[in-house]
Amino acid sequence: MKLAADLLLDPLSFLLIACCLVGLALVLRFRAPRVLDGLYLAGGIAGALFLIAILVIILMNMSARWLLIPFPGSTDYAGYCMAASSCFALAYALNNGAHIRVNLVLGRLGSWRRYGEVWCYGVAALMALVFARYAVKTNIWSEKLNEISQGQDKTEIWIPQLSMTIGAILLALALIDHLVRLLVTDHDGVAKTALGEGEA
Amino acid sequence: MTISTAPGMTLPPVNKRLIGAAVAIALGMGAWFLLHSIGEEDVWAKTGLFIFILFFLLGSGVWVGLALMAVAYIGLDVFVPGIAGDRMLTTIWSSSSSWTLTALPLFIWMGEILFRTRLSEDMFRGLSPWMAGLPGGLLHTNVVGCTVFAAVSGSSAATLTTVGKMSIPELRRRGYPEFMTIGTLAGSATLGLMIPPSLTLIVYGVTINESITKLFIAGIVPGLVLATMFMGYCAAWYYLFPSQRPARDPGMSFSAKLWNSRFLIPVICLILAVIGSMYMGLATPTEAAAIGVLGALILAALQGSLNWQTFTESLMGATRTSAMIALILMGAAALAQSMGFTGLPRALAEWIASMDLSVFTLIAALTIFFIIIGCFLDGISSVVLTMAVIEPMVNIPAFQDLGFSMIWFGIFVVVVVEMAQITPPIGFNLFVLQGMIGKEIGYIAKTAIPMFLIMVLMVAILVMFPELATWLPETARSTPG
Repeated sequence: MKLAADLLLDPLSFLLIACCLVGLALVLRFRAPRVLDGLYLAGGIAGALFLIAILVIILMNMSARWLLIPFPGSTDYAGYCMAASSCFALAYALNNGAHIRVNLVLGRLGSWRRYGEVWCYGVAALMALVFARYAVKTNIWSEKLNEISQGQDKTEIWIPQLSMTIGAILLALALIDHLVRLLVTDHDGVAKTALGEGEA
Repeated sequence: MTISTAPGMTLPPVNKRLIGAAVAIALGMGAWFLLHSIGEEDVWAKTGLFIFILFFLLGSGVWVGLALMAVAYIGLDVFVPGIAGDRMLTTIWSSSSSWTLTALPLFIWMGEILFRTRLSEDMFRGLSPWMAGLPGGLLHTNVVGCTVFAAVSGSSAATLTTVGKMSIPELRRRGYPEFMTIGTLAGSATLGLMIPPSLTLIVYGVTINESITKLFIAGIVPGLVLATMFMGYCAAWYYLFPSQRPARDPGMSFSAKLWNSRFLIPVICLILAVIGSMYMGLATPTEAAAIGVLGALILAALQGSLNWQTFTESLMGATRTSAMIALILMGAAALAQSMGFTGLPRALAEWIASMDLSVFTLIAALTIFFIIIGCFLDGISSVVLTMAVIEPMVNIPAFQDLGFSMIWFGIFVVVVVEMAQITPPIGFNLFVLQGMIGKEIGYIAKTAIPMFLIMVLMVAILVMFPELATWLPETARSTPG
């Protein structure tokens, strides 16, 4: 019974989100491309701000410990900032070619490269959509069930989870945007891949 | 590894592309139904298909993090139908909002700040007067420079660029053989992975739930031993090929040497503060990283290289790299969960145990396995991809009795992953060097072969003397909080 309900409901809501994002990507890319690129950059900047927030929280935590002032839940807040910093910046990192991939086969495809890229962006966009769809669902349920953090911070989980939801949607949007452009324009994927910078 | 379209490439017409996309979708859906049509009891067929899809997605060039996540989702959906997505998201959320992980972006940021200072020039100017007198001469600046920069940065590519930017032209000008210059640089830059702070070790620690402080401390001695062996290689060249020796630089007085390294000394103080605070138990890795970022900012400001542009560049660079690693870790967390349902790790561990291999055979086999994996994947991806399967295999009493703890295994994995950095076809250091000097990959790989052999020797030494990695962390004080 549960399975049947899932089959009926899941693909529908999934398709709905997918269509919305494809539409959004299409309209924005050809009407207002600056808005779209601005969105990715804004995600990157938000990620950077949360990175600074991690630093500030940890420095505060250390000084609080030395001054013997309690700072309950600092580690949880730093964790939320970590999630926010990485999730918000996912699309931005993609657009700057920071995400790692194996280019061994792609690089040898020659004139078939575009098909390879379509495949990669297609699979990635599909996965990012699934990610975004369940992130939205998890987020909604955390709010409905009023889930509270187990740590000392007692935060309502849905608030920090928003960062993951927004970040996942942005990533899906960015991948769809690239896929659409690969299919109908001369665009050939992100400008460069991680070489050096993205490696660790 | 670069995306470059061939100049004469013609674009297929749009309708053809759409047909191509439709074929891909049909293929994907076919695979999906095939996977779901396999009977419940046929676990091996499912697992086999699972592994095949994993390597197919990775090999075809799908971004590592998303490929792992896709395989995890498919696996979960096959083994626990209905609630796969929800389970996956819960895992992803708890793994990406973990407190231990916060050390990662901060250490990346610290390296990015110092990468954008004048450290590169200061490194050469500060180190060369001290190294000139050693047998092997200025080649040692490559090794020592890499060791020092490795201690502020967890990335071997950043280490390579920082040290190479100055040392390659300077060594060329002085007439050092190209083969030695490039080889020692390619090899010693891999120390960035071993000497703390090491991003690979953070990821390893987070993946298998080990103390990152202990892993960091464990990396110090093997890192220094490896650096010493690299220096030994330079000295060996000096004595074996006297004809290749370039003319010596004129000597300097002690005070002149000190004056030349005036910018290097604060960096070394910063390194000692960061590593020392962890070793003494004064700070957790995250706190040490925060001190490191603060110190790096102060250092850059004192040097006059801190302005709005370098600050934002370092910050955005760190954000990008940590988002990249975070995506891989999200995929890896989901995959580990999914793997658990397949029962593959346990089955494999039992199978290995039933074969009654000696520990040393197993280590040799794992070394070869990691070198092969490392030929195609970067270090972090190979660690997260394999640890879920390998941990139950090696986290057994037979290993621990011989002193091969999970801490030791982390150091072992890092050495092997280091080797992969300089082996074709995918060796990141080779690509970075190619970008810097414009020689063929094949030639660069050849110069790195001696360094590769030294690392093989290092693995042997680690196996014979596991205390190299395990002794120092035991003497460290535990961290608060």
